[in-house]
Amino acid sequence: MRTLREWTHRLGGALSRGRGDRDLEEELKLHLDLAAEDARGGGRPPDEAARAARIRSGGVLQAMDALRDQRSVPWLEHCAGDLRLAFRTLRRHPGFSAVVVLTLGFGMAINTATFSLVNAVLIRPLGFREPERLVALHEHLGLEAGPFSPPDFLDLERDQQSFEGVAAYANVAFELSGQGEPIRLDVAKVSANLFQVLGVGPILGRTFTAEEDRPGANVAVLGWGLWQSRYGEDPSIVGRRITLDRQPYTIIGVMPAAFEFPRRGPPTNNKPAAVWVPMAFTNAERQGRGSQYNRGVVARLREGVTLDQAAGELAVLASRINANYPAELREAKISVRLSARSLREEIAGRIERPLWLLMGAVGLVLLVTCANVANLVLSRVASRTREIAVRTALGSSRGRLLQLLLAEAAVLSAAGTLAGILASRLIVGAIPATMGRALPGVRDLSIDPRVLAFTAAIGIATSIFFALVPAMAIDWRVPGAALQEEVSRSTPGRRRHRLQAGLVVSTVTLAVVLLVGAGLFVRSFSALLATDAGFNPDRVLTASLTLPRAGYGTAASVRAFHRALFTRASSLPGVRSAALVTDLPLESYEHRVLSAEDLGQAATTTASTNLSWVYGPYFPTLGIVVRSGRVFSEVESDQSRNVVVVNDRLARTFWPGQDAVGKRIRWGLDIAGNNNPWLTIVGVIADVVDGPLGAEPLMHAYEPFSQFSDDVLDNFPGAFGRHVKLAIRTDADPRAFASGLRAEIGVIDRQLAIESMATMADRVGDVVAPRRFSVMTLGGFATGSLLLAAIGVYGLLAFNVAERRREMAVRLALGARPSVILRMVVGDGLRLVSIGLAAGTLASYGVARAVGSLLYQTKSHDLVTFGTVPIVLVLVTLTACALPAYRASRVAPIVSLRGD
Amino acid sequence: MEARYSIGMPNREQAKADVMQGTLDLMVLQTLSALGPLHGYAITSRLEQVSGGALQVNMGTLYPALMRLEQRGLLRGHWGTTDNNRKARFYALTASGRRELARERRAWDRMAAIMQALLRGA
Repeated sequence: MRTLREWTHRLGGALSRGRGDRDLEEELKLHLDLAAEDARGGGRPPDEAARAARIRSGGVLQAMDALRDQRSVPWLEHCAGDLRLAFRTLRRHPGFSAVVVLTLGFGMAINTATFSLVNAVLIRPLGFREPERLVALHEHLGLEAGPFSPPDFLDLERDQQSFEGVAAYANVAFELSGQGEPIRLDVAKVSANLFQVLGVGPILGRTFTAEEDRPGANVAVLGWGLWQSRYGEDPSIVGRRITLDRQPYTIIGVMPAAFEFPRRGPPTNNKPAAVWVPMAFTNAERQGRGSQYNRGVVARLREGVTLDQAAGELAVLASRINANYPAELREAKISVRLSARSLREEIAGRIERPLWLLMGAVGLVLLVTCANVANLVLSRVASRTREIAVRTALGSSRGRLLQLLLAEAAVLSAAGTLAGILASRLIVGAIPATMGRALPGVRDLSIDPRVLAFTAAIGIATSIFFALVPAMAIDWRVPGAALQEEVSRSTPGRRRHRLQAGLVVSTVTLAVVLLVGAGLFVRSFSALLATDAGFNPDRVLTASLTLPRAGYGTAASVRAFHRALFTRASSLPGVRSAALVTDLPLESYEHRVLSAEDLGQAATTTASTNLSWVYGPYFPTLGIVVRSGRVFSEVESDQSRNVVVVNDRLARTFWPGQDAVGKRIRWGLDIAGNNNPWLTIVGVIADVVDGPLGAEPLMHAYEPFSQFSDDVLDNFPGAFGRHVKLAIRTDADPRAFASGLRAEIGVIDRQLAIESMATMADRVGDVVAPRRFSVMTLGGFATGSLLLAAIGVYGLLAFNVAERRREMAVRLALGARPSVILRMVVGDGLRLVSIGLAAGTLASYGVARAVGSLLYQTKSHDLVTFGTVPIVLVLVTLTACALPAYRASRVAPIVSLRGD
Repeated sequence: MEARYSIGMPNREQAKADVMQGTLDLMVLQTLSALGPLHGYAITSRLEQVSGGALQVNMGTLYPALMRLEQRGLLRGHWGTTDNNRKARFYALTASGRRELARERRAWDRMAAIMQALLRGA
């Protein structure tokens, strides 16, 4: 405690200099005077008395030194001096300093930016209370973990013991109308207890009560974003009525800004909601056993219950749920399993590996930049050998010299770190636009204290590195040697040379690893783009709409809208054809189990089939190739004829090697109770990608919308069957048709919100955007490090040549041909490059195997990549060797006679 | 002839100074407690006098010690005038200085008793 007090005083003394030197000297002088007076009192003459006093009391200078040390923190004072000196030295070498700061800044910037991504997605807390107890629950039909069917969720909710609470949620899109333009909102239907399970309360009003979790309650909780943007943070919003999907809802609460749910990341129910409404299961949903597997479930583990224990209970519950399935479903061997995983894993699990990969890549780039900067620093040490020798001769200890080097390194690193942080702000600002939709947590990407601490830690590590490298290069044993001019010039520190060569080799090695990594991803990406997606996106414009239940309550009104939109869109000038569909390529809408006629055991598979409903000439509009048979006729668009078009995959699954046209299928299992009509296959089309580009195509069937159940449109709640995607194939740039199309939609229904309007090419672009982003960044990193490696090679050779000018001149004077010198220098460079290349190829083989699973149709030992990288590397570094080599061969022989 | 003890570190050799430093702190505190506020030279003179000239404290030791004690809040220094009307810096014990002295004295007594018992008992 007292010592602490002393040190605060001392620290204060270091900063403010405490009691002044004059003050202290005066006190000492008095002491000496009094001592001298005493001595004179003893009868000595004045000068002898003064001498005696000095002997008795010690010297003023020594006392002052001791006092100064006591007054403040000695090394801190040295530090300040060193930093000032370092700053001055570096300012005298602006070129050197600028290159170092820029190189370092580049490495720091991409590391900071990438870490802020890792921080946002993987490290930052989820924003829920005790998130480690939150788990996501899944129901498995077959192998895949997926969302829950409502009756199964209700069974789970009733019987489970492991959780404090379980809550279901599902994303829906609602039309918000009333004041201003109608807009589409991402809404989540949630169990009343969702907010308790997550442990987050409203900032205004309240959340749902259990009584409100039933059909017709019509209450809503607002998200902060919508409250702010649409209602101007109106504090009296609670109790107000809003119109959602043309139904009145009462606002009962507002959630805080940081609350985001559902989170991006999982494959389904992954759209952060602007408004939450009660789940309110209908009776049909409560009893729809074996259907509607689309409710996400989040649960909070009871205190002290582990994930494993919960999984044990879920296994028991699953068998009970299976027992509740109707007999015909059990006969068809439909069975479910339940599983749980941590919510964090659910949200970030899929992105974790690619992110760490990216972090690894930028880490390598940082190493490359560091090696390069260390090389520069080393070159400077060479020119400072004499300065260091003088300092040593004047009595600087090795520690003090190290401290001086450290101060310089610290100034450089600090400047580089600062530059990096500033640049990273720009990068971070650009990230969400590029890949916002793909990453969970990117909404609030920011450079927070944790990111700053990370960057500062790198900065400190690099400055120690930059201080130690030159320290290693200095020959401490013979401090005086460097003072002897001749010695210093003819033996240019072998130790430093070996260090520099080592650094260049490691730069090349790292660059090779990055180049191979980037090369593999470029190959994978081009393979992805080259895959046949099964449709032609050129000159196609699309629009997404959802018909609200309130305005389109009957099947007749939905069908009338389809007809009107189809007619108006088709007759726009310049439109070749138009069609409506429930889901465009790269999307999927409805999944069903089907059975084929007359195939016995092979008639059913548990694999589900995608089903799309089309209106109008969908296949020609999207440029989908017909393999056999025909597409739907105009009559079939409006009248049910029980026809179906299937994709190649489906046809091959049930009728391998045969023509499927004329065969019949029906929805549901091949069991007695199935009353679904048989549908005749009229055509087989090429496989169209339903998921992300590169995903395996699934079985897919298309029915005319005329065959869609009137009963569902008339009586079922929700938007099922009311989603409309319009596609038009045009003569010219499809973008030019957007405003015309908007106008036509407005004529049909002025209130109707258009969710999105985009060309099909843009939709494809959006789907591959995250991959494009990672390929571009990796490519950028690899190119950057290749350049840095080349600069490193160039720098080392240029420096060596400058150092050996006299040797070259002597050789030339003795008759060496310039080409020999040229070859010698280039050979020096290539030797380093080939060592780096060999090491890098070995290392990258390991890296490639580690990332193999992230590649699409590209082997981890891809010959094209492993063959191209060395060629590119050698070509680039050869260029880097050329200039120093040329200079060396042109040294004038006269140089051999000159001094410095 | 009797040995003369010198508490000092004319250069910054700190070899045995640590033990002695602790003793010096105690001596200074005790002196100020017995005689009231004193300037630096008066403290040295008093120590010499009490030790019969065996104890010489030079400035390089005394003043850093005074500064340290001041930094720790055990002393407070202020400029004043001596009897001969000279400007001098006087040091006075603070309340926590008095408490520290009492504590150190007990520790010293205990230590001395142990040493005595040890040296005699053997």
